[in-house]
Amino acid sequence: MAEKILAEKNLVIRHNVLELIEHWAIAISGLVLLLTGIFELPVGKRYYIINVPGLGWSADFITSLYLHYAAALVFTGAAMFHVFYHGFRGEKGLLPQKGDFSESITVIKSLFGFGEEPPMRKYLPEQRLVFVGMAFIILMLIISGFVKTYKNIYAPDMSYAVVLLSTWIHNIFFILFFLAFLAHMAAIALRPNWPMVRGIFTGKVNLDYARHRHSLWLAEIEPVQETPPVVVEEKPIPSDQEPEIAADTGENDLPSEANEHEQINE
Amino acid sequence: MDKKDEIQIGRRSFLKVTAGASVAFGLGRPENSFAATDRQLSTLIDLSLCDGCVDRKVPACVGACKEINKDKIPPITEPIPEPWPRKTIEDWSKKREVFNRLTPYNFIYVHKAETGGDGQKKTIFVPRRCMHCDNPACATICPFSANHKNQNGAVVIDQNLCFGGAKCRDVCPWEIPQRQSGVGIYLKILPGFMGNGVMYKCDLCIERLAANKLPGCVESCPREALLIGTRKAIEKIAESRAGRMNGFIYGKTQNGGTSTLYVSPVSFEEINRSMTKKPGQPDMKMDVQRRMAGTDPLAKAVLAAPVLGIIAAGVAGAWNRFSQRKEKAGKEGQDHG
Repeated sequence: MAEKILAEKNLVIRHNVLELIEHWAIAISGLVLLLTGIFELPVGKRYYIINVPGLGWSADFITSLYLHYAAALVFTGAAMFHVFYHGFRGEKGLLPQKGDFSESITVIKSLFGFGEEPPMRKYLPEQRLVFVGMAFIILMLIISGFVKTYKNIYAPDMSYAVVLLSTWIHNIFFILFFLAFLAHMAAIALRPNWPMVRGIFTGKVNLDYARHRHSLWLAEIEPVQETPPVVVEEKPIPSDQEPEIAADTGENDLPSEANEHEQINE
Repeated sequence: MDKKDEIQIGRRSFLKVTAGASVAFGLGRPENSFAATDRQLSTLIDLSLCDGCVDRKVPACVGACKEINKDKIPPITEPIPEPWPRKTIEDWSKKREVFNRLTPYNFIYVHKAETGGDGQKKTIFVPRRCMHCDNPACATICPFSANHKNQNGAVVIDQNLCFGGAKCRDVCPWEIPQRQSGVGIYLKILPGFMGNGVMYKCDLCIERLAANKLPGCVESCPREALLIGTRKAIEKIAESRAGRMNGFIYGKTQNGGTSTLYVSPVSFEEINRSMTKKPGQPDMKMDVQRRMAGTDPLAKAVLAAPVLGIIAAGVAGAWNRFSQRKEKAGKEGQDHG
């Protein structure tokens, strides 16, 4: 299901089912990887985690490894699917754009009551920057994890330099992944972002919220929804004026970005 | 078989082989016949020859190993930081002389096995140390890769990288590595919360091998009960000796295969009956599975995951495009209709 305004329900479809599956496959497998990655450290016994009901296996490194591999299978497959599927479709909404860095600062300041948010697209500028950062962390984890996995099966005696490099990349990016996860949770905790949480569970966000905060995105999808009825309702016009009026109708019926932003601010 | 691969080296045979090799293979220097750092080596422990050095206070192999490694562990920090929350400290620094079990200061010991409960009593002496497994979990899943298997087969812990979490001991079927608290890199980071010392075990005298010397235990054995050589040569000798004595081999299949082969005239089930597994004193069960082998199929699936993801993306993308075209064609059909 494509992005679509459900005016009667005051909702707009932000993510389709496939995108929700991608997100949750990566999120859940990522959490399992984090947890089982921690349990690959000798912490289960030392920190009495084995005494926590249901976590008796936390000191069994081979059991953790089974789970780590199972999660890595989903995580890697989903990450590759995400990159290639959306790349194939030419969808670049999550990739950074010019000016995202300065715009991110404006948005973050506004979250704390300093200044006002600029009109935004489907994704916030800082979301686009974080996406690339997260993608890089995931890429490094996958590459280093691959070397470690290959070593475990086929080549325990591979070059020690390669083993050390991949191990330390994996460990350092594990910490960065954990920090990125915390930052992701912190972003959700901010009140202005709450309406987006509904979106990642149901695929739909409140239309009023979208109009208010993601006006550029709405401007992209609204014409497709609303222009045809306007054209249908037009009265017959003299043929010599048709091109001009048609052009006026198509553009003037839609609020310009600046106008819409002003309306929101009012 | 490559003639070089047939070289097996004991204390005296080392001299014989190298002298012969110089002539036979045109090797200028004896050490050239013993490329001990890049060729896979194995050791053989012949229990029909080991007499436990009963005439000595400390068996020769144990004494030599202790002497070689006496300065390996740096001075221990006093007091040793108490780990939190579990307060386990393992300190052998005041019991360095112990030689009847594995400790951080003792990488080999000799077990005395009284066998033959059925009347034919026999005493067998079994030197015990790291088996240097073919695919050692202690090394492959060390979280800091402080433990690594070298190309010559030696599984070696880098004491400068080890945090002493004892994971290697937990995953070793024989629980070989031993911890010394109060030493190592963990002292410089978060000694109360992370790490607890350094793990120590036999490293097959890898530095001596690199210097074209024999491991201490092999060199010191007065009865040549220990041999080292290329993998193929040692396997051949082990099978030949086991055949001659109508005996048994241990270490070839255990834990997925090891670089240490025991040959014995008495079955290892019998020998194992004389052993009680205790800390620092491993047993010799015949059925020792490499637990990580069970994870290999899943690990192979992980290696295939990117391809699976890309194929799925291609199928989904193609389906998407096909659906869109169909929808478009349907609409156009309606419009024209």
